[in-house]
Amino acid sequence: MKRILASVTDGKGFDIGLVLLPLAFLFVMSGLPLVYNVVMSFQEVDMFSLGTFARPFVGFKNYVDLFAQPETRPILVNTALFVSASIAGQFLIGFGLALFFWMNFPGASWMRGLFLVSWVMPGLVVGAVWNWILSGDFGVLNFFLREIGVIEGNIFWRSDPHYSLWAVIIANIWLGTSFNMILLSVGLSGIPKDLFEAAELDGANALQRFFTITLPMMRSTIGAIIALGLIFTLQQFDLFAGITSGGPNNSSNVTQYWAWDLSFRQYDFAKGATISVIMIVFVMLASIVYVRSTRHEVRG
Amino acid sequence: MSDTFRNRLMFAVALVLAAIYLFPLYWMYTTALKTGSAMFATPPKFLPSDPQWNIYADVWQSRNMGRYLWNSLVIAFGAVSLIAVLGVGCAYVLARYRNVWVEIGLFLILMLQVLPASLMVTPIFVGFSQFGLLDTPRFAVILAIAAKSMPFFVVLVRATFMSVPMELEEAALVDGNSRIGAFFNIVLPLARNGILVSAILIFMQAFGEFVYSKSMIQAVELQPASVGLNSFMGPNTNEWNNIMAYATIYVTPILAAFVLLQRRIVSGLTSGALK
Repeated sequence: MKRILASVTDGKGFDIGLVLLPLAFLFVMSGLPLVYNVVMSFQEVDMFSLGTFARPFVGFKNYVDLFAQPETRPILVNTALFVSASIAGQFLIGFGLALFFWMNFPGASWMRGLFLVSWVMPGLVVGAVWNWILSGDFGVLNFFLREIGVIEGNIFWRSDPHYSLWAVIIANIWLGTSFNMILLSVGLSGIPKDLFEAAELDGANALQRFFTITLPMMRSTIGAIIALGLIFTLQQFDLFAGITSGGPNNSSNVTQYWAWDLSFRQYDFAKGATISVIMIVFVMLASIVYVRSTRHEVRG
Repeated sequence: MSDTFRNRLMFAVALVLAAIYLFPLYWMYTTALKTGSAMFATPPKFLPSDPQWNIYADVWQSRNMGRYLWNSLVIAFGAVSLIAVLGVGCAYVLARYRNVWVEIGLFLILMLQVLPASLMVTPIFVGFSQFGLLDTPRFAVILAIAAKSMPFFVVLVRATFMSVPMELEEAALVDGNSRIGAFFNIVLPLARNGILVSAILIFMQAFGEFVYSKSMIQAVELQPASVGLNSFMGPNTNEWNNIMAYATIYVTPILAAFVLLQRRIVSGLTSGALK
């Protein structure tokens, strides 16, 4: 007993204790729910069997039913569109801004940091603000678009099925751009300056320098950022709750909102769990890419 | 001469870019101050001609914001304390050693960091209800947030511990400190700033958390401000000035804290997520 106590205060036991306690917590709070999720996706779960573990197993019935539903395919397409459009927008605008702030001038780093306010705001507040900006008759975005002459009549961003998903995408691009920019700035500042000086002496112009030095040197950073973008866009829930609630008629619904909607609006917990399992597998794959592209840090 | 001109030009362009990017924020602040009719004017007014300063007190009263914000604070403080108590030690050990076990632990933590809350909430809700945790819904939300955010905290704080020179700790051990003594007297004070910044980041996230609170807290008296904002925004609402006033009261403290601590937060964030 005394030996154990001594080890905990002054030996290996100290480290093991420090690391085992949080890992046990994470195992109970994240690991077990993950397993439970998979189990539920093979069970029949309704309001009455919610309180018991002994539920009938139904094999792959939930999966088969899910893919037989008419809304499944459009929602999967929406998710793919939401993810790719959001990542493309965030990355391109973020890269442009990062390149701009990379041309050093007094106050650059402070101004750059200011952009990150979009990232620390509660997601629901961002949703509320954009909900108002995107409003059909009185929205300020429609006003700007009319003034520039892009549109003639008002676009009903939130209630027109053709635009509702884009309403959320616009808000999400705004939300994620700053984070992309900050991480890209870190990557840019890691490129040795003498490479550019050498290229300039050799007569390479700005465009050539960008494609032969900047982009190749940024490859692992870009990989990590795209993977992180995929992870973050698949986590995006608050904007859907704040702007369209997945509507009208599922036209702006995506899997991560649908899973919640099935469980907590329609009380179909088995279906909710089934979608969750499928999407978590996707997220896990993305995170393996992310971990691999940051492995220099992990491996030391 | 041309150099200062270039710098000024660049700064002006940066200002314009920031103004465009931060316009939604400005629009939130101005809309809150508009009267009901000025809000729906076409073309929209970009400066409120007749600012309604008492709207904040009105919304605070009518929406019972004190209670909502108190619940947000309880949840955020609870989650941050739990995460800090458990996560700091974990980050320390993961920073101090390099072997296969540490790599496995890091990999697991990075994988847990990416699980979307809206997908994890189904099994967590069902499991928690079976163990009776939903009788104390705020505590249940604290547990769920802690599990979600702790991996991120560990990654950030580990980067801080990596920058504390190990020689200092070894010197303390030679001087007769125990491991616990060296940890609390030497390592922890040196890493204090990094831990604090990471804790503030986690606090901001937990303060705005929505999915878990919306799903697990049924009683209105226990709901945080994010859920309160959500129930304020009905499908056909036209109280946008009130909603924006609510949003203003909700985010202004966060924004103020962010602007004050900006430099530290940005560097803490980037050191953990990349490099």
